Amino acid sequence: MKFSIFKVALRNLKRNAFRTAVLVFSIGLLVSILVFGSSFILSVGSSLERASARLGADILVVPVGAREYAEEMLLETKVKTFYMDKGLMDRVGQVEGVTEITYQTYLETIWGVCCDVPPAKVVAFDQDTDFIVRPWLKEALGRELKKGEAILGHTAYTDLDLLEVDSSVLFGAKFDIVGVLEETGTGLDNAIFITDANIDKIIEKGKSRLKPNQISLMFVKVKEGLDPYPIGAKIESEVVEVDVIQRSEMGESIIATLKDINRIFLITIVLASVLSMFLTWTIFTAIVNERAREVGIMRAIGAKGSHIVGMFMIEVFLLGFMGSVFGIALGNYLSLTLSEVFTLLRDMAATLTLVERIEVSLLGLAVGVGICVVGALSSIIRIKRLEPLTVLKEV
Amino acid sequence: MAQIELKDVSKVYTLGDTVINAVEDVSLGIEKGEFISIIGHSGSGKTSLLSIIGGILSPSSGRLLFGGTDIYALDETGLAAYRADSVGYIFQFASLLPVLTAKENLLLPTIFSSQRPSNSGKKAEEYLDMVGLKDKINAYPAQLSGGQQRRIAIARALMNDPEILLADEPTGDLDEETEADVMDFLKRINSEKGITFILVTHSSELARGATRRIRMTQGRIEEIGS
Ligand SMILES: Nc1ncnc2c1ncn2[C@@H]1O[C@H](COP(=O)(O)OP(=O)(O)O)[C@@H](O)[C@H]1O
Ligand SMILES: [Mg+2]
Repeated sequence: MKFSIFKVALRNLKRNAFRTAVLVFSIGLLVSILVFGSSFILSVGSSLERASARLGADILVVPVGAREYAEEMLLETKVKTFYMDKGLMDRVGQVEGVTEITYQTYLETIWGVCCDVPPAKVVAFDQDTDFIVRPWLKEALGRELKKGEAILGHTAYTDLDLLEVDSSVLFGAKFDIVGVLEETGTGLDNAIFITDANIDKIIEKGKSRLKPNQISLMFVKVKEGLDPYPIGAKIESEVVEVDVIQRSEMGESIIATLKDINRIFLITIVLASVLSMFLTWTIFTAIVNERAREVGIMRAIGAKGSHIVGMFMIEVFLLGFMGSVFGIALGNYLSLTLSEVFTLLRDMAATLTLVERIEVSLLGLAVGVGICVVGALSSIIRIKRLEPLTVLKEV
Repeated sequence: MAQIELKDVSKVYTLGDTVINAVEDVSLGIEKGEFISIIGHSGSGKTSLLSIIGGILSPSSGRLLFGGTDIYALDETGLAAYRADSVGYIFQFASLLPVLTAKENLLLPTIFSSQRPSNSGKKAEEYLDMVGLKDKINAYPAQLSGGQQRRIAIARALMNDPEILLADEPTGDLDEETEADVMDFLKRINSEKGITFILVTHSSELARGATRRIRMTQGRIEEIGS
């Protein structure tokens, strides 16, 4: 390597390897908290968004008081059942602006064949009016689902340990399992899908709490170009037996929790940043004191202020960079390995896309390097002002 | 016109209530290629004067002209360029960077020079050879004796082909034999390359051979002939 000011900076970092390591480590910890926290919030937030987009309805209509249940059912992997009368569909369908409407019925099962699988959620949908499951079916099966057939959601496939089973009994009725859906990122990923045509038989067998003519939820599409919000309000006022969830408001309770987490996390980050900045400031103040003589010598043999500042900036940047890289690695590692520990993440099957991960990592890099620069700023200004000779006394 | 001209140069240090006139009203003209020795007791102001000439200590009053240019009227960059390109300074005290090897210490001033020579690596090795430290190229200052460090500092002062060489008691920590070698070397640089050479020493022995001898007492100079 050609001799340059960069090499001098490297040597300076190497000279006090312990101090360098302490700084790198502390910046790294800060950045890892940042990366981990941002990953957490971003993954929950964006998987909420993805899930509600995947559901493809403008408005959800649920029995009065069942809003939260519905969200937990659709956005998280929880199993919830709630019912209303099927006859409400006609009344909702008559509200002005509603163009399409379909329903689903949710059943909870204690698995028939084996006892140690978790209670599974079964989704019965109406094949004639459906616009939610159809596109998923098309991808996975390429045809409609027949009576007596069931298809598994993406995670139901692994969660329920059905890998070697091709037929199963639900509520006393036998079903052929014909395939597995692609991952949708919604809470329906761990469900078993059957068509509405099977409901009569299930009720007949009497192994479910479901009564005739009960449905759980309606999906509504509004006329294109219309704002779904007033239409939803109209549905609620005209059909008092139902509550409405706007797509834009889906997951509100999770979002509220998320906001609190966000605040706690922000406070943590700010405190940790202040701490790291203080540490950087202390260390660089010591470094400048220690090296005042050397800087004086460099100035005396011709170094410009810019050479000295450049050398220090290289050191500061390298420290910030090394710390950030360490922190990014640690933060990503934690967010990948700890996702099982956090209920919210597990329930939402929340993950980040590569682009999101890169964005979070770049944010970490910017903050890590920024903290280092800000922490070292006063020292850099001081070192720039150091005069030659004044420091050239005997050691 | 003289290469270097000091015009009514004074340096005053104030330490609390005490005022020290380290350099008082010095006027002096130095021609290119001269060998000037400055002798005087400790505390007489030799280092202060040499520092002013070297561009590293601004005088309290008076001017330093180099080739007609008022050095201390230059901006930061110009002043740094004067130190880097025109002056080779050998400090009274140890002045090597501890994190750099002998060779890297020699290369350090070339980074600051405006005309960075391309063959500076080879030149550094040659100069280390000239001061008898060829085998210490990769040694760090801490691994070298005071005398060896001093010789490296001398070689460093020559790396940017300065027009004036300023040496502040350069043989202070050398044994007699090495002292003679180093003095011969410096005098040869002066005579062969025509570099102006100003030597500060407290030994009138070493001052011998100078084209002009200057004695410094309490900040004032007097020429005592050659
Ligand atoms: N930075 C300084 N601050 C205050 N006094 C100084 C400083 N440098 C030198 N002096 C004083 O100025 C006088 C001349 O010092 P110096 O130039 O180092 O003399 P010499 O090199 O001949 O020993 C001495 O009295 C010394 O104590
Ligand atoms: Mg002195």
